[in-house]
Amino acid sequence: MRRLILKGILSTAVIGSTLVAGLVFTGTAAAQSYPNKPISYILPFNPGGESDVSARFQQMVFKKIAGVDAVIQYMAGAGGAQAWSQLNSMHGDGYTIMGINLPHTVLQPMQKDVGYKTDDLTPVNYFHYTPDAIFVHKDSLFKTLKDLIDHAKKNPGMVTFSGSGSNSSNNLAQVRFDELAGIKTTYVPFSGTGPAVTAILGKQTVAGFNYAPSAITHGDKMRMLAVAAEKRMPAFPDVPTFRELGFDLVGGAYRGLSVPNTTPEDIRQKVSDIISKINAEPEFKKKMEDGGFVLTDITYKDMPKFMAEKKKEYGALAEKLGIKKQ
Amino acid sequence: MEVLGYFADALTPFNLALALAGVVLGTIIGALPGLSATMAVAVLVPFTFAMAPASGLIALGAIYTGAIYGGAFAAILVNTPGTPSSIATTFDGYPMAKRGDGGLAVTLATFASVFGGLVGAVSLILLAPPLANVALAFGPTEYFWLAVFGLTLISALSAGNTVKGLIGACLGLLLSAIGVAVVGGDVRYTLNSQMLLGGIDITSALIGLYCVPVIIDLVATKAPHLKAIEVEQGMRFFEALRLSMTRKLNLLRSSVIGTAVGILPGAGGSIAGLIAYSEARRTAKHPERFGTGEPDGVIATEAANNATVGGGFIPTLVLGIPGTPPDAIILGALLVQGIKIGPTLFNDQADIVYTFMFGLLIATILMLPVGLILGRYAYKFIVRVPKSLLVPTVAFLTILGSFAIHSNPSDMQMMFALGVLAWILERYGFAPSPIVLGLVLGQIAEQGFVQSYLIGNAQNAIVEMFFGRPLSMAIIFFALLTLFYPLITSLRRRRKALPTEATDIVVKAAKATRENYRDVPAIIFGVLFIGLGVLAYMETKDLSPMGAVFPQTLSAALVLFSVILIAFQIGRPVARKKPADVAEIKPSNPRRFAAIVIMALWVVLLPMIGFFVTSLAAFFCLTAVASFEWPKARTIITYALVATAIVGTFQVLMANVLLLRMPAGLLF
Repeated sequence: MRRLILKGILSTAVIGSTLVAGLVFTGTAAAQSYPNKPISYILPFNPGGESDVSARFQQMVFKKIAGVDAVIQYMAGAGGAQAWSQLNSMHGDGYTIMGINLPHTVLQPMQKDVGYKTDDLTPVNYFHYTPDAIFVHKDSLFKTLKDLIDHAKKNPGMVTFSGSGSNSSNNLAQVRFDELAGIKTTYVPFSGTGPAVTAILGKQTVAGFNYAPSAITHGDKMRMLAVAAEKRMPAFPDVPTFRELGFDLVGGAYRGLSVPNTTPEDIRQKVSDIISKINAEPEFKKKMEDGGFVLTDITYKDMPKFMAEKKKEYGALAEKLGIKKQ
Repeated sequence: MEVLGYFADALTPFNLALALAGVVLGTIIGALPGLSATMAVAVLVPFTFAMAPASGLIALGAIYTGAIYGGAFAAILVNTPGTPSSIATTFDGYPMAKRGDGGLAVTLATFASVFGGLVGAVSLILLAPPLANVALAFGPTEYFWLAVFGLTLISALSAGNTVKGLIGACLGLLLSAIGVAVVGGDVRYTLNSQMLLGGIDITSALIGLYCVPVIIDLVATKAPHLKAIEVEQGMRFFEALRLSMTRKLNLLRSSVIGTAVGILPGAGGSIAGLIAYSEARRTAKHPERFGTGEPDGVIATEAANNATVGGGFIPTLVLGIPGTPPDAIILGALLVQGIKIGPTLFNDQADIVYTFMFGLLIATILMLPVGLILGRYAYKFIVRVPKSLLVPTVAFLTILGSFAIHSNPSDMQMMFALGVLAWILERYGFAPSPIVLGLVLGQIAEQGFVQSYLIGNAQNAIVEMFFGRPLSMAIIFFALLTLFYPLITSLRRRRKALPTEATDIVVKAAKATRENYRDVPAIIFGVLFIGLGVLAYMETKDLSPMGAVFPQTLSAALVLFSVILIAFQIGRPVARKKPADVAEIKPSNPRRFAAIVIMALWVVLLPMIGFFVTSLAAFFCLTAVASFEWPKARTIITYALVATAIVGTFQVLMANVLLLRMPAGLLF
């Protein structure tokens, strides 16, 4: 018996060390034409959220477009700051790409030293956003946005909005909306989209500021009163935009890809091109639009202009939220 | 009849093979602290794209339920919950293992897990749509009171030492406030360090608080880790079966609690286990035996946490609200497959849903043989392996587990720091469990409280919000009952001596004699905690009211309890001499110190040098520290090979199977 155990241990040892030795020698082959090996796609959040779902959609068609697989890895922590602060210490060879989000990467460094600054990051493509939208329970008395605004005008502070997190896109949208509509409402932050939607479904709050994709899973239990997209979304043709109703509110959480700052210019462009091509892929496009995501195609070339606009917009709102460096 | 057809679908050889493989993989991953069901499920999602949806779901569900069960192994054998769900399993499982009943405890945990899992899965199949509404009935107030209910367990866990328990809970609750607050967005107690920005990860804290003290004390003496079995006892299958049969009520109650708590999104297996444990203790004939190796404690926790698996799928499939983090990933996988979640799912895509649910049922049943076989090996390994290999292996697992959670070296450093702190505190009577309870329940309590306050304030009905909701009242009732039950029973018992239950399990009383002399270290700690409380209070002055209320209350409570502690101790007579050390072998402090230094270097150097090289070096050093006689040359070679195999296998598992990001150090 004892012998047998020893033998088992020994054979495990041999197999283990062989495997390790094998590991060391792989991955040394130099990159000649990009991409020629699987790309690590790092998500700065836990799996299961919108970032994960949209990355999984991309993963399905990635090989078809780029010729290589995307391998999704997670590096959650500090609302994304954990991963973003380490991005520039990673290899800039194009085989490491990382999900990047707005308004997170503008607001976080504004509030606190989080180990990175907005301009340290190198976004190469913002490929979609999930628009903010106002939801109420389907039994709610408020049939239109006007009903809700009228109620809020008569009862200042009494309308409660559930939303995902403080100083988030949902929170910014609520602050903007209060200002545009001339009302005062109460924002109740929850620890993510899931709990925030549950609060609406359980009638814990009067309404909710959430992202439009929530209507896909919960459409039969909630009513979307207005959506902060530029034009009506294909998945919800009957839901008016805020702009149609006279409120200049367009926005949500933007998601894109960034690379370490040591990545050469031509590789940055290539990554951006791959993402753009995936965006144009009919299968991907249909899944995203059915899922309530709005595709954008902000490529590496458009990035400086886009970022300048967003930084200005969020900067002004941050002041209203009382965000200042502690 | 149609439904039974789905049962046959679930029984195809391919699906059965998937369920079996899933349960085996899940149990192993769950047994390794830090490697979680969430991680395994996330890695496997892409593979399920190529499978039929139902088969993919069965594989994911099997891994999930296996992992929740596997957590019990580590909890029982090395006092470390493999997953947060098995926190309460350590309370009695580890004492059982220490006195030589480890095999029995593992078998009991297996029976309880299978039973709980079946109750959860059957509830899912039969009652999912109506039960899903429970998830919606729970608002912020209910979550707040549920967390308070969980905290009342402290009074039971620290019997005879309540003040120290309460101080521990305050410390845990304050630790949970570190980082960016979800509600309010304030950045709290980070000491301007980026490392603390993300807060303290619960799993890595659990590993540190429970496991590091075990490692430090293991190297101190030559005595074996668990009491050796003189006679070959095996897994004591029939004894466990008999024990379980006589505890049907406990099994059933705990399973129902587990299913119900599982339905609540954001509560999860840890709370289910704690509440089931607390209820089992409250209704037991001998509550004083809990915490000293009472089989009922293991049964309650394990039945409850596996019941949460089926329970958690109820809101996931019916409402599209994930009950637990693994559910969230499975929900994402369903979306990618183009399956529309919601009540219509049960009609439109009944084939997928029912095949999956039956698959989960089958996977749960498969846990019985898989668990008994794996459990047997795990137990034998822990009992038989020489200490000089056991210590470094367990230490390596703590490092690996705390790193793996977020591929983050600072989680690992935090794990170690908390572990040393827990070891010091434990020596002076501050047990780790109240700290853990505070840490686990803190965020739920705080978010529930602030959200309730905001909603109540908007409606001008704060008091009604907290005390006017029927569900809240019910939870408050049970919390009060748990809190005062010991008092009530002791009053009753004084009047009438209760007959004692016949049992062949010898259970020692929790405390032999109460210490009535002045405890000088307690006074010193009291002073330190007052200082800490004052500092913690001062730190809140720049925060928003939303972010400040919770830490302010807690730091005030910490100061108050510390003052009470000091007052009690000063009133006692000074002990003439220190009580003699009862241990036969004098523990070796230099060895303990060496172990602490090695582990400190390990966590500091790992990100700089690399995972494999640092771990292997530290492994050898710990082997030396844990060896009490000079080994033969052949033994040294065997140890070296074993160490390389263990570290190498996990390196491959993490980097190439679980696809974690390894630190980019100088070497590898």
